[in-house]
Amino acid sequence: MPALSGFLWLVSYWLIGEVVIHFTGLPISSGVIGMLLLCATLAVRGRVPTSIASAAQPLIALLAMLIMPGVVGVFFIIGELAGQWTAILIALLLGTLLSVITTLWLLKRLITPTHAR
Amino acid sequence: MLADTSLLTMLTTTPLFAVGLTLAAYLIGNALFQRLKRPSWLPAILIAALLLAGALALIGLPYATYQQGATWLTVLLGPATVALGMPLYQQLPRIMELWRPLAICLPIAATLAAFYAMAIAWLLGSSDTILASIAAKSVTAPIAIGITEQLGGTVPLLMGALLITGVVTIPCVSLAARLLRIDDERLIGFALGLNGHAIGTVRAFEISPQAGAFASLGMSLTGIFTALLLPLAWRLMEMGG
Repeated sequence: MPALSGFLWLVSYWLIGEVVIHFTGLPISSGVIGMLLLCATLAVRGRVPTSIASAAQPLIALLAMLIMPGVVGVFFIIGELAGQWTAILIALLLGTLLSVITTLWLLKRLITPTHAR
Repeated sequence: MLADTSLLTMLTTTPLFAVGLTLAAYLIGNALFQRLKRPSWLPAILIAALLLAGALALIGLPYATYQQGATWLTVLLGPATVALGMPLYQQLPRIMELWRPLAICLPIAATLAAFYAMAIAWLLGSSDTILASIAAKSVTAPIAIGITEQLGGTVPLLMGALLITGVVTIPCVSLAARLLRIDDERLIGFALGLNGHAIGTVRAFEISPQAGAFASLGMSLTGIFTALLLPLAWRLMEMGG
């Protein structure tokens, strides 16, 4: 039962996110708003209730599976974009490599010894 | 086509067929991934996605029909994203220690994550639709879909860009970390989430809960920042060009 009530909390926070978006018109997804609200609530309470932990942990572990139905769609538009794929692939591969290097280089530069563990 | 059409029609009237297919592909993908000794260039999600696409093609199930049934799973993406608030809270003290460098790094890195790919695609002569479809490549799926629709891109191409970006982020981060001699799990996690959205975040949780929390942070901040600024920047570029 704790997992079920934890799940209800997660769903409620998501729905609150929807309400916030409806009234503010923010271009963010309700999941992210719910995530920030959940984090804020836990910070106020000072601990993670067992119910939320038992619902959140398995869901986080399944994140990759949940985006699978969407990403599989790309295999069905391969034909439509014939001739364009080389450019798209190079842009994504090289672009990601460059942005990963930039991110890590920036972080290394910005983090001084005072931030050491 | 293996099954005859009437049987397939009967099975696909229930969403459980799509759900079962997805679970099976995911579990087999994971088992193969373990069997292949966890190669970093071939993540479990890619194996699973290939298996699933192969299965759909083999039984002749149209993607739209599958996708409709799979909504029963994808709807969980909402509460799963909310759930990331828990590791975020648990690592809050460690995140606060680093808030200043993270706050400076994020806008620059998130902008470049979109810019590099768009600039390269543009140089290679890609159409505006393609540029609009890959712009949100580093943003978590639920936010990225909204951005792409606003820019006038195609969502299936975006989802493909998300898969490719997420998958290549993992070896890119280990390569870049080795080049720059970085072994701090906090930085590696942040870079994984910032560039590789949910796929990078899942990988970060495999490293450690701390890396996972920093990845969740990187993923959500990139999502928020890109959602707020990319549509604006796109409009300015359209006006300029």
